[in-house]
Amino acid sequence: MPKSVGATPRGTPILSVPFEQRSLSNGLRVVLSHDPAVPVVAVNLWYGVGSRNEPEGRTGFAHLFEHMMFQGSLNVPKNRHFELVERAGGTLNATTWFDRTNYFETVPSHHLELALWLESDRMGWMLPAMDRDKLDNQRDVVKNEKLQRYDNQPYGDWSERLQRLVYPREHPYHHTVIGSMDDLDAATLDDVASFFRTYYVPDNAVLTVAGDFDPARVMDQVERYFGEIPPGGALPPIPGNPELEPLLGSTVRDDVVADVPLPRAIMAFRIPPYDDPGFTTAEVACAVLGTGRASRLYRRLVRERRAAKDVVSYAYPLLSGASMLLVWATGYPGASVTELEAALGEEMEGLADAAEEEVERAVAVLETDLVRSLEQVGERADLLSMFELFFSDPGRLNREVDQLRGVSASDVRRFAAERLGPANRAVVTYRPGGGS
Amino acid sequence: MTPLDRSIPPEGGEIRDFVFPPVDRRTLPTGLDLRVARVSRFPVVSANLFFRAGEEALSGGAAGLAVLTGDALEGGTRRRSGTELAEALERIGARLGVSTGWEGTSVSLSCLAARFDAGLALLAETVLAPGFPEAEVARARDQQLAGIRQGLMDPASLASDEAARRTFAPGVPYARRQEGTLASVGPLGRDHLRGFADGYYRPGRGALVVVGDVDADEMEELASACFGAWTGEPPASNGFGVEPRTRERRVWVVDRPGSVQSEIRVSHVGVSRADPDAFPLTVLNTLLGGAFTSRLNLNLRERNGFTYGVRSRFSMRGRPGSFQVHTAVGTEVTAPAVREILAELEALVSGGPTSEEVEASRDYIAGIFPLRLESVGQVAARITDQVVYGLDDDYHATYRDRIRAVTLESAWEAGRSHVRPGEAQIVVVGAAATVAPALEGLGVGPVEVVAPAED
Repeated sequence: MPKSVGATPRGTPILSVPFEQRSLSNGLRVVLSHDPAVPVVAVNLWYGVGSRNEPEGRTGFAHLFEHMMFQGSLNVPKNRHFELVERAGGTLNATTWFDRTNYFETVPSHHLELALWLESDRMGWMLPAMDRDKLDNQRDVVKNEKLQRYDNQPYGDWSERLQRLVYPREHPYHHTVIGSMDDLDAATLDDVASFFRTYYVPDNAVLTVAGDFDPARVMDQVERYFGEIPPGGALPPIPGNPELEPLLGSTVRDDVVADVPLPRAIMAFRIPPYDDPGFTTAEVACAVLGTGRASRLYRRLVRERRAAKDVVSYAYPLLSGASMLLVWATGYPGASVTELEAALGEEMEGLADAAEEEVERAVAVLETDLVRSLEQVGERADLLSMFELFFSDPGRLNREVDQLRGVSASDVRRFAAERLGPANRAVVTYRPGGGS
Repeated sequence: MTPLDRSIPPEGGEIRDFVFPPVDRRTLPTGLDLRVARVSRFPVVSANLFFRAGEEALSGGAAGLAVLTGDALEGGTRRRSGTELAEALERIGARLGVSTGWEGTSVSLSCLAARFDAGLALLAETVLAPGFPEAEVARARDQQLAGIRQGLMDPASLASDEAARRTFAPGVPYARRQEGTLASVGPLGRDHLRGFADGYYRPGRGALVVVGDVDADEMEELASACFGAWTGEPPASNGFGVEPRTRERRVWVVDRPGSVQSEIRVSHVGVSRADPDAFPLTVLNTLLGGAFTSRLNLNLRERNGFTYGVRSRFSMRGRPGSFQVHTAVGTEVTAPAVREILAELEALVSGGPTSEEVEASRDYIAGIFPLRLESVGQVAARITDQVVYGLDDDYHATYRDRIRAVTLESAWEAGRSHVRPGEAQIVVVGAAATVAPALEGLGVGPVEVVAPAED
């Protein structure tokens, strides 16, 4: 056993996920990452479309469309996609977010071709299987998803309120991924067809195959299933205006009295977009604030002052104009939400004196978390797809740790001074009351 | 290569074998059961220390004490404050977590392999020499109380709590919430925690599980150094039986005015992990409500659009847990959803599964088995299950064979004994003014509207 204690010296490489970049003549970008240790393979597709691409009056449509992608395609009847993958002993799902939509299967490796067949059939031939009944059924399912995850939950509207404050009316992140009930009701089969033809094209997608496959055959297999799908046309511009001032300019707020059990103060700050080198600093600052029990917010607000029952911090990796750093603190019964907000604000500004050892601890934890996430082949595939789609650079995965280690305490201090003060703050507070 | 015919799903290629990592099992002189599995794909290690300090050892008056004692461990040790302990762990990038269940407490550690010896020493210090400082205990208690209050306003928690209370006879621990109540947790202080830890934080009938890029001999040495002075047995289990509260089917509506959805639970007493029917029921439940393409989900979600999803589950513990169907549906379709759930249960019991369904479920369960054993944390969790539930050493090695041995007849036979829609307790959390009359109209049993629990 190595007996050394303390952080791994800077520059020690701990990650080398193998990968190869390829592409088909129709523009489909392919990333391959071979690892035969477990007889499992992940097939992962990222499409360059998300809620930011939704036109006026169609909020929530990108996500509803994702549901429609499971309703069958020319050669795959309704429910057959799930049946075949489950029968193969695989797992599958999809998620929609602001800038992208991803679809993924992890299957025992001898069923690789099944996953390629299913994904290619719906990329190429989804529309012949669409009909009004399927759309109405999935509209109901999605509306129930919105009810279950947002509308019937205490604090369920927090993200909607916060996004409205951080992003102006004309910005594509002004509205949530789940969208509005009215817009979901308005969606038509024509919308499905035009969204499909515009965005679900091979030259707007990345396919990653990771895990146990035959390296000599895999590109032939990919070509066989995806090669004949025609490329799409030029992508339309993102609706609205993605340009943003880097700072909010003041404190903007939304104070809510609602049927919630405990007071909660939520704050968000505009931060550099994901493709800006400044985002890595924000990520480290975010971990110094709220990742782990030695983090600032936990130590000060939860442990020492006992002002908060729990704290959360999260840096959204977003591409259009500005990302968002989010923190919240939940207070105890009867506590004043005004005082809770003031305490949270003090800690955010207080980060301007971040110490070197705090930053080192935060980086050490982020490093372990990243390595642990890569144990699962589905996660590896997902990250490779993301780095290829967003940056045309899957190799960034292997440089993540070095990038994190490159952030210094003075970077974090400067970031805090520039970004985390009242001139760049959006606040949503919840005070228990009202009831029903 | 033959030309591609897209209308036919590709056949699977040649199947590759999967072997559960071999477990090296030894007992330290102090009685600590050490189980080590070497998995070297990534430079990470996961360890679980499991000991029998569970909520089932506690009477209702002390409910929540085991959970609180576990959560208060991060308050520090006799040598370090809570903050110093957290800093020591995070300096080496280690994650330490405590989870307390019915059977015991599990303290898990994960970190890079190069820092594991320091991490394990900190885990040992956390469990063997807890400080329980007054202020940290009070803080952990207040957090637990606030969490209980949050649960009392969360529709899914309300439904699960009510279903437990209606399913199990009073006095069965599973009838109550693990975290206890405002009344049982409110008075707890450091003396209670210290007393509980002195009695129950003992290695007997527990284990230390280590999985990762490690060597068993070195682990024995390291574990001896870290846990050498730790001895003793926790008090023997109080050996309770698991009885249902009633065998009469009833409908309980927990009134939550203004709800836009109803949380539904359909529940009765199920089976233990050791039950001979456990494997047939695992297969049967998969086709009933354990997978996306199960009968319940295809009916309620894909055919009727009532819900975002519905699942059923046997909670198999050391003793019988519940069999439960759970979902959330639109307020206006609450009664039709309950009707469909009961109809699916009855159809399964009377008509049995099809051979196609049984085959598909066996393939699914056997196939996903290796998918859920990719990380060292997942492997450690499965080995820990063997300790918690007293499973055979070859349990995981033979798991897929036992699943594949389930037949249509054995699955149906198990279903006829253990799926009993006529005895189910049906719990609905929602807008009673709307849903109670509709549920009355179903005629599936007496309907009673109850207020949400207050603690």
